[in-house]
Parts: sequence; structure tokens; C-alpha cells
Amino acid sequence: MITRREFGKYGLAAGLTAGVMRPAWAADAADIAVKAAQKYKGTTISIVWEAGLQALDPIHFSGPKWKELTGMDVKVVEVQTAEMFTKIMQDYRSGAGGYDALNVVPSWMPDLAQAGALEVLDPYVDKFGYRDALKTIAPVFRDNWMKANGKIYAFPDDGDVFLMYYRTDIFGDPKLQAAYRAKTGKDLAVPKTWAEFDSVGQFLTDKLAPKMYGASFFRQPPYAIFMFEERFRNEGGKFFDADTMKATINSPIAVKVLTDMRAENKFMPPGVEQFGFVENLAAFLQGESAMTISWPPYGRWAEGYGTDQEALKWVPKTTIAGKVGYALPPGGHPELALGFDLAVASTSRHKEAAYLFIQWLNSPKISLERVKLPYTLRDPFREAHYTDPGYLSLWPNAKYYLAALKKASETGLLDLSLLQTDKYEEVLRQMMSRLWAGDDPKAIADKAAADWDAVTKRIGVAKQQAVYKAWAAGSGAYPKM
Amino acid sequence: MAQTATLEARAGATAIARQPDWSFRYWLIAPAVFLLLLIGLFPLIYSLIVSFQGITMMTNDTSYQGFVNYARLFEDTRLWWSLAHTLLITAIALPIELGLGLAMAYLFLEPMRGRQVFVSLLVVPTVISPIVAGSTWKLMFDNRYGPINQIIGWLAGHPVVALWTVHPKLVYPAIIVCEIWQWTPFMFLILLAALSNVDRSQLEAAEIDGAGFWRTFRLIVLPAIWPVMAIALIIRGLDLVRIFDIIWALTMGGPGTMTETISVYTYIQGFQQFEISYTAAIAFLVIIFLTVIVIAVIRRAGLVK
Repeated sequence: MITRREFGKYGLAAGLTAGVMRPAWAADAADIAVKAAQKYKGTTISIVWEAGLQALDPIHFSGPKWKELTGMDVKVVEVQTAEMFTKIMQDYRSGAGGYDALNVVPSWMPDLAQAGALEVLDPYVDKFGYRDALKTIAPVFRDNWMKANGKIYAFPDDGDVFLMYYRTDIFGDPKLQAAYRAKTGKDLAVPKTWAEFDSVGQFLTDKLAPKMYGASFFRQPPYAIFMFEERFRNEGGKFFDADTMKATINSPIAVKVLTDMRAENKFMPPGVEQFGFVENLAAFLQGESAMTISWPPYGRWAEGYGTDQEALKWVPKTTIAGKVGYALPPGGHPELALGFDLAVASTSRHKEAAYLFIQWLNSPKISLERVKLPYTLRDPFREAHYTDPGYLSLWPNAKYYLAALKKASETGLLDLSLLQTDKYEEVLRQMMSRLWAGDDPKAIADKAAADWDAVTKRIGVAKQQAVYKAWAAGSGAYPKM
Repeated sequence: MAQTATLEARAGATAIARQPDWSFRYWLIAPAVFLLLLIGLFPLIYSLIVSFQGITMMTNDTSYQGFVNYARLFEDTRLWWSLAHTLLITAIALPIELGLGLAMAYLFLEPMRGRQVFVSLLVVPTVISPIVAGSTWKLMFDNRYGPINQIIGWLAGHPVVALWTVHPKLVYPAIIVCEIWQWTPFMFLILLAALSNVDRSQLEAAEIDGAGFWRTFRLIVLPAIWPVMAIALIIRGLDLVRIFDIIWALTMGGPGTMTETISVYTYIQGFQQFEISYTAAIAFLVIIFLTVIVIAVIRRAGLVK
């Protein structure tokens, strides 16, 4: 018979043995964060989050759950994407310390890190044993979205990437297949190159418009710049001459890309130049276009996943559930457009508490729950997210969706990320708006290149060159031709 | 002599008696003066100092940089274009708002049924935030969902694709329409008040003498309402020079930089690109520019005698 004292002794010994034998990485990162954060009970931390659907995660799910587990309150500061960088920098420059944790777009990292707005996370990562859990993040995000100057400043937390969505019923229609073969001598297949895309898109519009168009894209400049960045590199373009840092976005490749982009509008719905994320979503979900390229939520909503939720009432009712296919965009190297990282503000008065919250959010266990939330826009970013049985069974085609996302993460291209990235992006936004306005592609590409050169000169050629070379050396900067 | 001495003594006594009174007055206005200095003068002086420094997103360089930022103003063609766009919008919108406002004021000058209801409804646009007005008009101009193109399509008898916020020939009309819709009622209200105070007896005398409408307007009405009208023009003119919200909501300054105004450009430089010191220099350029214009207009309008 074992006495209570002996039971305790053996139990303690067993626990210690298990503790010693169990590898440190096996300890659950979420539990570690919760346990450590309990000493901050009663503390309120504020976190900057993209306004709208994204913010429903901390408002309805992670915030309340964190409070339940730790007693800490989470104040969510919702900010429009276009204003996030400004607000974060304003808070930092003013020294107000209004924000503790931050959602940041990865391409802002060089600026935010250099300015000193972000807290270096390495000491916390080591203190709370999170380094091994970071290794399970998909390589392209882990290797490119986490560090600046060799230090960890943020955790990749949203695997944004462009995918092509297409109508399987249209591409599988025998009559259309026969007609396309008769016209081109080729099979009607999901396009793998932009030339194929133009051919298929024009053919479908000729056959089906005005009921349906071959394709529709978002064309508003803030979105269109990412499509340009992606396509330009898929066609072999480089942003700069790495030796001189002269902009090369007016190369013949760039002019061709711009010319083709505008020409494609002719087989898209009238007024496509005004399409943003929602207009394009509506066109696709209502069966008005046969192909589109966008961020992952399109794929979920097209299948009707989660659209019965109150928060998604605004999403147009899908008419194409069960008829949606997923593929890589033409060229095969999709843009890892925008995305989000979690970081800690250097001016925070609760740095450790904020860190623990983001470790918990980002941990394998909690992040898996978060990327499956139907009402937010968080997309898979850990290896396990793409193969999770629960996710694979969310709708009949989910396995194809996740397989396409995984493939996209392996071949995806990073957003251009330099010092003062927004200055370069602003030039691209102007370039795209002039393109839709009808200006000469060569003239606007030349102007954009000249503007980029002026920005580089102002920042300092050598300084920017070092940042560009580091970025260009990354695994997702340019496709391997 | 004694009387003089008495008078001097009285004056002295009064002066002594008044001294605490003066001091009390200063104490009374001191908080207001302090507040004005704090929220008005201090930021102005601080901005002036910053404009001679080199603060950007990348560096917090507060060392004296001389006139570098002011010299940069002269090389910055985008800045001067934005100023030109601002003046263009002002030159088009202001006369139209004045003309429409005056016409509406004349219309509602005479008593009519439901006058108060109509006036209240007409004033509604001015109480809407300009950013909301801009966003609403952006929806109105939307090719896919907006009513404007639908109405044009009905009139034309076929669908019309007019990209109001994209096409170079349509963006300015779109901005002007939105601006006029929102601010003509302001002109209308001010001018209605001014017209209501025109001396009726002079108008009746002119009518008896056989003066026509234009003659009466030019020689009696206009001089009577001019001080109020000039103030309304200055207020609206200044508003138009700092126009931001409507343009930001409709075009964000595009296509390219075609509709970028001085306020839009300043915002981009200051709050998107964090060229803090350069933005301060732009702000001072605008202050000087506006001050010169306002002084000239006030003198020309004879508002200060």
C-alpha cells in the first residue's frame, strides 16, 4: 500500500523525470505564455489590429479567452490598413506608449525596426522557450517576415498570398472545351502563363458576356500594385539594378506587363478599373466572372464557409459553391501580398505582458484555432495549418484549397520591402492609377522609375542598396527561373 | 491752487484705486491668453523650429539645417502642381457656390408655404462630415452600383460606363459636384440672412422709379449685402484652399497626382512619409500664401476701414 506521503514523493519524482526527459520544445508555447502571464492579472494591454473583420478575432475570440485564462484585459485598437503604419509611427514618435502589441505588415519591418518602434523579441523568445515553435512556421514566412538585421522583431501571423480561383463548371463544359479547341487547337485549361490567361479570358468573354466575363480582378491602385509586383517578377523583371540601385521598373518587361494589364480590362466586366476587394468578390461570387485572383478568403467564401455568420452578412451570397477550383496564378509565383506579423511596441509599458499575449496568439495550438475562425481573415501560416484534419474537412473542397495555399507559400514572392517602402509603393499606386486613366505605359513606367530613383537618392543609395541586397537574397524575392 | 491740489489728489487717489482693477482685468483674461498661446502660438513657433531641422521617419535629427527644407520647396514640382490644383478647384467651385447660393437665397426670400422645411432640408449637406460626403459620392459615382451612371444610362437609352473617379476628364467634375452639393447651402444661408436685411424702402423706391432687377441688384442690393458676402467668400475660399476630405475619399489625389491638392500633398508628406521637417516648411509656405491672399482680399473688399 502506498501512503499519501509516498504517493506525493513518487508523483514528484515522476514529474521531475518527465520534466527532465521531455524536450524543452515539447512544452506547449500557449500554456507557457498563459502561466507566465497570470502574474499580470488585472493589467490591460492594447493591441493595434486591422479594422473590420480581422479585429473580430481579438474582440470575440482571443481577447476574451486570454482574459479568462490570465485575468488580463485586451483593448483592441482598430485601425484601417492604410493608416496602421502612420498610427504606429505617430505613437512611437510622440512617445505616448499608447500601444503595447502591434499587428504590422511585414514589408514595413525595415522601417519600423530601424526607427526603433519595435521591441527586439529574442530575449523573450529564449526566456519563454518559443524558438522551436517558430520553426514550425512555413519557411517563406519564417525566413522572411520575422527578422530585421538578424534580430527577431515579429512573429508571422497571417499567411496572405494570392491564389487564382476559377469556375470548374465552365472549364469542364464540353461545349466550351470543343469551341476553344476549334478556335485555338488547345485544351481549355486553367491558364499557367499570362499569354494563356489572355487567350482563355478573351474566349470566355466572347462566348459568355454579358452574363459572364472571362475574368475580373481588383484594379484599385492599392491592390493593383501587388498584382503588378507579382506579374512583373514572374515575367522576369527586377525592381533595381543591384549594382547601381537604378530603378528598372521601366524595362521592356514592365512596359509589356502594364500594356497587357490594361488590355485585359477589355474582357473583364465594364468598369473593372474601379473594382476593389469587395466589388471583385461580388462579381466572382455572383457568377459574373470565370477567373479571379485574390487573397484566400475568396476561396472560403465562394464555398459559403462561414458566410452565415452575422459578421459576414455583407458578403454576397455565393452562387458558385461546389464549382470553385484553386490554382496558382499564371507564372506560378504568387504575391505574398501584405500579410501580418505580431510585434511588441518598444514604447509599451507592459512589454512582457504584451509579448506573452502575442506568443499565445501565435502558438501552434491557438493559431490553428484562429486561422479556422470563419469571420476573420487570418490565413494558414504554419505547416500544420495546411494539413490539419479539422480544416481539411471544413467544406468538401477544402483539401484542394489548403493544398493550393501550401503550394503558394512554397513558391510565393515577397512584397518589396526597403527603407521607406511606402514611398516606393506610393509611386506604384500613382503609376497604376495613371494606367487605368489611359496614359502611355512607357511614359508612366519612365516617370515611376525616375520617381523611385529620386526616393533612393534622398534615402541614400548605399544605405538602400544594402537593404535591397538583403531583401533580394531572400528565398521569395525573385522567382528562380 | 488748493482746488488744483485737491483735483490732483483726487486723480492720484483714483489712479491708486484703479490699479487693482487693472490687475484684476489681466487676471481675468490671463487664462484665455495662456490657452491661446498654448494651443495657437506654441505649435506655430514649434513648427517653425522643426522646419529648420531634419526630422524624417528615419532620423530624429533636431540639429539646425538652415534653409534646406525651404530650398527644397522650390525644386518640388509636385508641390506647385498641388497648389495649382487647389487654386483650380477654388476658382471653379467658389463662383458656382456663390451664384447658386445667391439664386437659392432669392428664391426663398419671399414667404412661401413650407419655406422653413425646405430651408432645413437644404442645409442638411453642410452638417455632414466632408469625409462622409466624399465617401457617399464615391458610391454615387460607382459604375456598378451608383445611381449617377444608371440615371445617365436611362436618359441615354443604353448602359453608360463613366468612370468618374478614374478618368482624367471626369475626376474634376466629380469633385466639383460633390463640393458644390455640400457647401452651396452654406452660401445660401448666409446670403439669405443678408438679403433679408436689405432696406425694403430703398427697394420699393427703386421699383417706383422704374429701376430694373439688375440695376436694383447692382446699385442697392449688392452694396447692402457685400460685407456679409465678402466674409462668406473668404470663409469658403479658405475652406476650398484646404480641401482634403472630399478628394481623399473620391480620388486620393489620382489619377497619378492629377487631383492632389496642397492639403492632400501635405498629409502624404507628413503622415504617410513622415517628412516632418519638410512638411513644416510646406505648412509655413501655405500660411504665408494664405495670409497674403486674405489681407489682399480684406483690403480689396473694404472690410477694414
